[in-house]
Amino acid sequence: MKIIVGVSDMKVSNTPGDEVVTYSLGSCIGLVLFDPVARVGGILHYMLPESALDKEKAANKPFMFADTGIPRLFKQAYKFDAIKKRMRVSVFGGAQILDQKGFFNIGKRNHMALKKIFFKNNVLVDHEEVGGNVNRTVRLQIKTGDIYVKTSGAKEVKI
Amino acid sequence: MTAIQELIKEIRQLTPMSPVVNQLMEVMDTPGCAMEDIAAIVQYDPAMTANILRTCNSAYFGLSNPIESVRDAVSLLGMDQILELVMMKAGTRTLEKPQKGYDLEQEAVWKSAVAAALIAKELAKKLCPEHRNTIFTAALLKDIGKTVLDRFIASSHEKINTLVREEGYSFMEAEKKVIGIDHAELGAMIIKTWNFSPRMVKIVRHHHLSDPSMQLDTDIAIVYLSDCICMMTGMGVGADGLAYRFHDQVIKNMGLTSDDIMKILAEFTQTMEQVEELLQIV
Repeated sequence: MKIIVGVSDMKVSNTPGDEVVTYSLGSCIGLVLFDPVARVGGILHYMLPESALDKEKAANKPFMFADTGIPRLFKQAYKFDAIKKRMRVSVFGGAQILDQKGFFNIGKRNHMALKKIFFKNNVLVDHEEVGGNVNRTVRLQIKTGDIYVKTSGAKEVKI
Repeated sequence: MTAIQELIKEIRQLTPMSPVVNQLMEVMDTPGCAMEDIAAIVQYDPAMTANILRTCNSAYFGLSNPIESVRDAVSLLGMDQILELVMMKAGTRTLEKPQKGYDLEQEAVWKSAVAAALIAKELAKKLCPEHRNTIFTAALLKDIGKTVLDRFIASSHEKINTLVREEGYSFMEAEKKVIGIDHAELGAMIIKTWNFSPRMVKIVRHHHLSDPSMQLDTDIAIVYLSDCICMMTGMGVGADGLAYRFHDQVIKNMGLTSDDIMKILAEFTQTMEQVEELLQIV
């Protein structure tokens, strides 16, 4: 079954026939986890770096922010017997408009927020396609753990 | 025939919008514009009238007594929503097509146009409420040039991409260099042909703010920002990617900070719910 991860959304599955997809990541980040032994995987599609921006929003939509979304993705994968050190971690998105610099560079800030959280929690990234001026669509096959990425204007590529 | 001559020929072949749209555009942002004025204009377009009445009487609004006149429709929904419906109905025919050259599905083109229009209107309500309806329409139609330029993009794809990837061009600068005209110029030509006001033509023409002298024009800046917000969320982003210029000074001139931009982004899911709702009733 095709499971679509919307904007500010997260989905985890251990059903071999499932495919988890998130469309058109601009400056948002798509974080993909997969445990090849437990055969569980999922995608988080967050938009913004920190929940401090709007606590109420964060309470209602925790997947909107890096700091409230990332821990929930990991915890959800653990519920399906995933183990942290086995998990393959891939990161996509975080693009920017040309000349979008400093504080206005939301894509970069989204990526920095993830790096900060990973550093604190000893998570290593296995694969990363972040930044640039392109948008990306990412799909994860639960059966194999294969990840496919389609960049705007180009053909889909298997990682 | 040169590419530009061919494009102009294509513009002439586009189905023009209902004259009602132009008349509404003239009155909708004038102070003191009343319900009667809107109703009086719309009722002269039978197809539009039928459309609006059908919309109002759809299950979505769940009315116990059916509405039978535009005037009642305006008082039920309010002027702003009637205008939104009219503009969206008018825009559907042209904007609800896939764009192969830009690598966009039909749904993506139309949804991003509606999303930009809603974001722009929200900004306008805060920054220049009296122009909110013009700004809504301009944001809805800003990329109409892409519908015609699309075929040319498909055949110039490689050249454009090389300029963008290797020579630091924005996608629009590359359109201009390779095809001789960009989608904003072309969009302005289209709506000029359809007799839209010089103001609308100007907003569409400059919605990427590549001309620095336009950057202090708040109406244009709002439409520009709504486009940037959509790009960041990945809405309507195709082969052109996010390869357009960001002007942080424009945002600062509007008195907005990066936190304000993030707050608009945070509203995005809600905006999309509104988009879906609008698409359902149109």
